[in-house]
Amino acid sequence: MMQSHARTGKLFAFTIRKEWLKLLLWLAGCAFYVILGAVAFVEVYGDPLERQAMAQAMQNPAMEALFGRAIGIDNYTIGAMYSHTMTIMGFVLFAIMSILLVVRNTRSEEEDGILELIQSLPTGRLASTTSAILLLVLTNTLLAVMSAGLLIGLGDSSMTTEGAVLTGILYGLVGLIFGGVTLITAQLSSNARGAMMLSFGVLGLSYMLRIIGDSGGFNALSWISPLGLLYGAEPFVENNWFPVWVGLVLSFVLIVTALGLKHRRDVGAGLLPDRPGKRHASVFLKTPLGFLLKLVRTPLIVWVVAMILLGVSYGSVIGDIEDVLAGNEIIEQIIAGDDSVSMADQFIAMIMGVLAMAASIPTVQIILRLRSEEKKNRLDKIIAGARSRTSVLSTFILTSLTVAFIFQLLQSLAFGGAAVAMGYDIALLDMVSAGLAYLPAMVVMIGLTVMLVGWLPKASSLIWLYLGFAFILLYFGGLFDIPEAVSWLSAFYHIPEMPVEEWNVWTAVLLTIIGTALTVTGAAGFRKRDID
Amino acid sequence: MTKLIEVDAIEKSFGKTKALEKVSFSVNKGEIVGFIGPNGAGKSTTIRILLGLIRADGGSATIFGKDVWKESVAIHKRVAYVPGDVNLWPNLTGGEVIDLFLSMRGAKVDKQRKEELIRRFEFDPTKKCRAYSKGNRQKVALIAAFAADAEVYIFDEPTSGLDPLQERVFQECAKEVLAKGASVLLSSHILSEVERLCDRVAIIRKGVIVESGTLDDLRHLTRTQITLKTKENISSIKEQSFAHNVSINKDQVIFQLDSDQFDAFLSYIQPFNVLKLESAAPKLEDLFMRHYETVEGVE
Repeated sequence: MMQSHARTGKLFAFTIRKEWLKLLLWLAGCAFYVILGAVAFVEVYGDPLERQAMAQAMQNPAMEALFGRAIGIDNYTIGAMYSHTMTIMGFVLFAIMSILLVVRNTRSEEEDGILELIQSLPTGRLASTTSAILLLVLTNTLLAVMSAGLLIGLGDSSMTTEGAVLTGILYGLVGLIFGGVTLITAQLSSNARGAMMLSFGVLGLSYMLRIIGDSGGFNALSWISPLGLLYGAEPFVENNWFPVWVGLVLSFVLIVTALGLKHRRDVGAGLLPDRPGKRHASVFLKTPLGFLLKLVRTPLIVWVVAMILLGVSYGSVIGDIEDVLAGNEIIEQIIAGDDSVSMADQFIAMIMGVLAMAASIPTVQIILRLRSEEKKNRLDKIIAGARSRTSVLSTFILTSLTVAFIFQLLQSLAFGGAAVAMGYDIALLDMVSAGLAYLPAMVVMIGLTVMLVGWLPKASSLIWLYLGFAFILLYFGGLFDIPEAVSWLSAFYHIPEMPVEEWNVWTAVLLTIIGTALTVTGAAGFRKRDID
Repeated sequence: MTKLIEVDAIEKSFGKTKALEKVSFSVNKGEIVGFIGPNGAGKSTTIRILLGLIRADGGSATIFGKDVWKESVAIHKRVAYVPGDVNLWPNLTGGEVIDLFLSMRGAKVDKQRKEELIRRFEFDPTKKCRAYSKGNRQKVALIAAFAADAEVYIFDEPTSGLDPLQERVFQECAKEVLAKGASVLLSSHILSEVERLCDRVAIIRKGVIVESGTLDDLRHLTRTQITLKTKENISSIKEQSFAHNVSINKDQVIFQLDSDQFDAFLSYIQPFNVLKLESAAPKLEDLFMRHYETVEGVE
């Protein structure tokens, strides 16, 4: 077995050399998230009465679906508030970091044939996987230490050292667990994309189990989900260490299993079978649109299914909100400001925003696909054919627009349908219009992406930063005091929150014009610039 | 002669496809063996088994007498490998990658030798790998391999992507390591390269070794393509025993000539007043076709 790990140290040193910048940026992003939570709560919710009011407002299925089971409600300290509202989103962020890290350092390199070169040197059969594992452990240890340190330094007296250390460990553990899951999926699938999709599938499933478990009253489901399990540690409230031990054992089992699988299998092979492909290109594939759809088909199908499930999960908790809040005028006043607006409607408006941002991911991905085709030197083969750049680009833009429309339609139908089915009193049509109202913001997203691809191709992925910014505004906007000028920068911020607010034709028209202008300018850049 | 590489009846299946069927051959110390065959014949599969990257389903494969799967690390200390398709980390320079590969061997890097190879392959080691063309990425692997002091070199179509001049440099380097007493296994489908370098060849087709021996042994199987233009009508060449697959187009004759019949051919055409004579070396396909015709003829 020692032979299998020969030269792991050297390889690990090299891995750090090629990864340090990426990790630094990721850790900076994570640190920003923790600081945002700690500082904002101390600043904004210094007043215990205000916190207690918030605690009351948090105790309903809708809020629990969003943030997690309400915890520490009796004494809703800053620490409790942080644990309750920041944990789940943080877990998802840290899990994504580790999933990407593992895929990048295992299956991607194997798919590119780099592993073959390394393994033909006197390195052990497991050396490259082991150095990826070491990197995973190192990154998450840094994340844990950094988070604990930040919370101790920035938190108030309710953020105890034990709670801060526990929080840090939980953050590191969630990365270890999902990194471990990815180490396994990297053995199962013979390509990086497949491994990544399987891992995100597990993450999505964990998230949905948690929603149903936390807000639907099936507690067992929350404990099965790794996200729900770690959430159960409740730092600053219960400081329950049991999930940590379970998480450590789980990570260990995942990692050891992955190493076992890797040791036995052939380089380049996946344990899941590859299906044979088609012999000829279909008539549809030969059209520009058909070609593009074929490229993005599988991720789109996965997205559609995930979005519909998410819509149904959220929709099914709406009915309960009214029951819980019935007769509690005080809460309604705090949350809504006036009791004519129902809590549930506010929830619907917020979820619509969350869903629209989620649907923006595949929408933007289609445009970015143009860039990734370019990076792999495949774009020149398409452009060198009988097709102009403009026509190639417009195919991508039109597909992206269509996807935005279909996704918004389907998920508002799923969300609304579930709400209506649970007996909530709202017209399905109102739900669908609330969903479609977000399209102008998505046009702006598309426009910005085209701008980046056209003028700053190397910085195309900055669009994710913008989407992340818009998401934080929406998700935590209700909790933090965010200056109007900052909120104003998000395209989604301008969309009227139906059904609470009225649809505004001018906002829609203006955003569409801005989005179109960005797209046209971006396209001009794309026509002029060199293809990499 | 000591056998450095010994492959004995190895088999490998991928799902239902049988990739290798009882493949056996060997490479002696100080010798270069050509491993030839068409795409998908099983060359790379065999090489990947030899490198312990994939595991044979049956049979045995050893290098230096050690099992290629179980003792891969010990074997790889003395083996250098260059694949046909090299991908590298986009954000590192070629020079960095060469150093990395060499340092992984644990031995001290012979700087002078490395620099000399960089110069001979006309390689710019300061560029990032994402900027390299296929041929330049290939050079990274070739330089790292030749700069290493290995006893066995395994090449899997190493010159795909190199220009003819660089191809020549590769051949010189291969000869140099041979002169130092190393052994080489060269997989290729460029017959001219194999012909120029190899002592022996093993031909694989559909996962089966169909022929192995010295090149001279195999040469009787080859034919040369001749394009001929004469002043006098030479259509009677059809009846000659050395000419095969004759096609006549106006005054131009194209046919296959048995490679050991050049003399008879030259004396035959003398009287026809030759205007143009071109001969093309037999391609691998010709060899294969010829080879199968013979096998079928015997059966």
